[in-house]
Amino acid sequence: MAKPSLLGLLLVAPALAMIGALFLYPLGFSLAAAFTEPGRGLSLAHFQKAYELYSTDILFTLFIVVVSTLLTALVSIAIAGILTLGETPWLVAALRALYRWPLFIPFIVAAQCMRTFLAKNGLMNNSFVALGLMEPLQATSLLDWRGIIITFVWKQVPFVTLMLAGAMASIDRATIEAGRNLGASRIRVLVELVLPQVAQTLLVGLVLSFVTMLSVLSVPMMVAGSQPTMLTVDMAFRINSYGDYATANALGVISYAIAGTVAWIYLRHSVKREVQA
Amino acid sequence: MRKRLLAAGLAAFFLSSAASAQTLNVATAGDQNMVDYIKDYLGPLFEKSHPGVKVVAVGTGPGDGGSQKIFEKLDAQKQAAAASDFDVVVIHQKAAGTMVQGDLLKKYRDSLPTGKLVTRDTATNSLGTDVSGYVMPMFHSQTAIAYNPDLIKSPPNNYAELREWVKKNPKQFGYNGIKGGMSGVAFVTGWISAFGGDPAKLEKGPYDAATKASWDKAMADLKEFNQNVVITPGNAGTLDMLNRGEIAMGPVWVDMFYTWKADGKLPPNMRLKLVSPGMPGQPMYYAIPSKTAQEKLAAEFIALATSPDVQAEGIVKRFNWYPGIDAKNLEGKLDQAAWNQLFADIPPDTLATNGKAFPIGPYFNDILETYEKKVAN
Repeated sequence: MAKPSLLGLLLVAPALAMIGALFLYPLGFSLAAAFTEPGRGLSLAHFQKAYELYSTDILFTLFIVVVSTLLTALVSIAIAGILTLGETPWLVAALRALYRWPLFIPFIVAAQCMRTFLAKNGLMNNSFVALGLMEPLQATSLLDWRGIIITFVWKQVPFVTLMLAGAMASIDRATIEAGRNLGASRIRVLVELVLPQVAQTLLVGLVLSFVTMLSVLSVPMMVAGSQPTMLTVDMAFRINSYGDYATANALGVISYAIAGTVAWIYLRHSVKREVQA
Repeated sequence: MRKRLLAAGLAAFFLSSAASAQTLNVATAGDQNMVDYIKDYLGPLFEKSHPGVKVVAVGTGPGDGGSQKIFEKLDAQKQAAAASDFDVVVIHQKAAGTMVQGDLLKKYRDSLPTGKLVTRDTATNSLGTDVSGYVMPMFHSQTAIAYNPDLIKSPPNNYAELREWVKKNPKQFGYNGIKGGMSGVAFVTGWISAFGGDPAKLEKGPYDAATKASWDKAMADLKEFNQNVVITPGNAGTLDMLNRGEIAMGPVWVDMFYTWKADGKLPPNMRLKLVSPGMPGQPMYYAIPSKTAQEKLAAEFIALATSPDVQAEGIVKRFNWYPGIDAKNLEGKLDQAAWNQLFADIPPDTLATNGKAFPIGPYFNDILETYEKKVAN
């Protein structure tokens, strides 16, 4: 390994200083605030409070994010698979033109759209009724946990698909052709030949989506009612309503822990692969 | 070239600093409509009577959170011994008490020409803290149950009847919990007043930490009640669902209700009911930070904003709020139709008996926290 030059260090110094001042310092500060109590030193009181008031919400958050990630994986694999292996030109062209759109829509706008789209008498149900697919009395509102999941999946699928389709496009077509020539169905080619080669990319996309969804405030706030709700809403409520930064920080640490666990699984996986390689 | 640029920059700098000497900064908590009110109506009105003055309105966000931000900024400026860059602040009750106790506000009301037009006790008592002299109510707002008369012929008169009604009509009543805005909070505090013991003590104190324990039954009942209701996403969410016919009833802010109705976002036949023993309302206050450099100008601004003409035209007519000053001062300033509309569903005597204040600060926090612990979790 080359010796680090002074000039190189100088070049990265501004970036490092930014990370230190804008990320590490606040992170350390919120960790310290979560684990201490003024005048008493170290304490877990804030975590106890967080558990007492928000244990349901912690589970709810985990549930929402895990289910959304799994669904995102399924849908992205399906879309990327069609883009790579599809044999219906118009379908592939249409999908290719359409699938990226949600990427350009901010979460808050997506949430607002879903509010009118998924409501009991909203656009979706009204369309079904108008098409004769459903009786008006059967309409139910999806503005609860289902609404959050739908919004998240809708927003994150293009992101993961973009990465996945790119990775699939760059694998050796010969393996796919060989599989097809030997009579494997397209689904079998996708699952047994293509997916294993792009698993790493898929995992990266899903880990990033997981962390993103964990930190979204607008969607749970606007799409669903507040009982139960996601941790971001609880943090905002703690600060806005009580000025209680300590418990909010404790909830933040719990979020870090959840995100950290996923990052750890990912790191372990990629280290294992590197060792094998 | 460079010299000319420099000169232009300097000129711009001096111009802007000269202008800032005549700028009145008004920071308001509350929804965007509060910022718009100052920017589009009150500001231009004041600028007309005070040539050379520019009114700048800054919004800090809805609910108590917006007031909390104003408090944090003034407090930080006090710690740093710096002058305040807000000249007038518009705040909620909870923050007003804290700010008076923290010595962040000026005692200005007694010198205000409109100061004696205020009669409601919210001008002296803010959730249990004595704020007399420090604040001037901008308006009073009230929560009530909005309902669809097509679906409900005889709406419940009190909380107990409401509870029975919800049992018989599951998922037809909606409210926004406590994290989605103050109308839900108002409904919950009303519930505690109705079923949790002594309501007078909640509003007037003294605070007794042990009172919390006596709410257990009421909170357990509320949890059961919640099984049959819809939790909506926010005040606007409740109105949205009423509008789409997804619920038949729900607590809302009176002013928002009328504004939506006037904008055609709610069917014109929707009505309001202020159930007994009552639901809370709250004022928003004008106050002057103690470190402002423009006390005189700020006081003149507030005097204009609380004058009977502005209260009639700006507060009652534009926003359907109840006036901050005593309503009798508005006589003759408003046409009968505007006046009647405000009291159509909630006549003045109902407002007097069932229009409550929010509980004092510590009880208020206790209610919210007990709700989170016993009902939401």
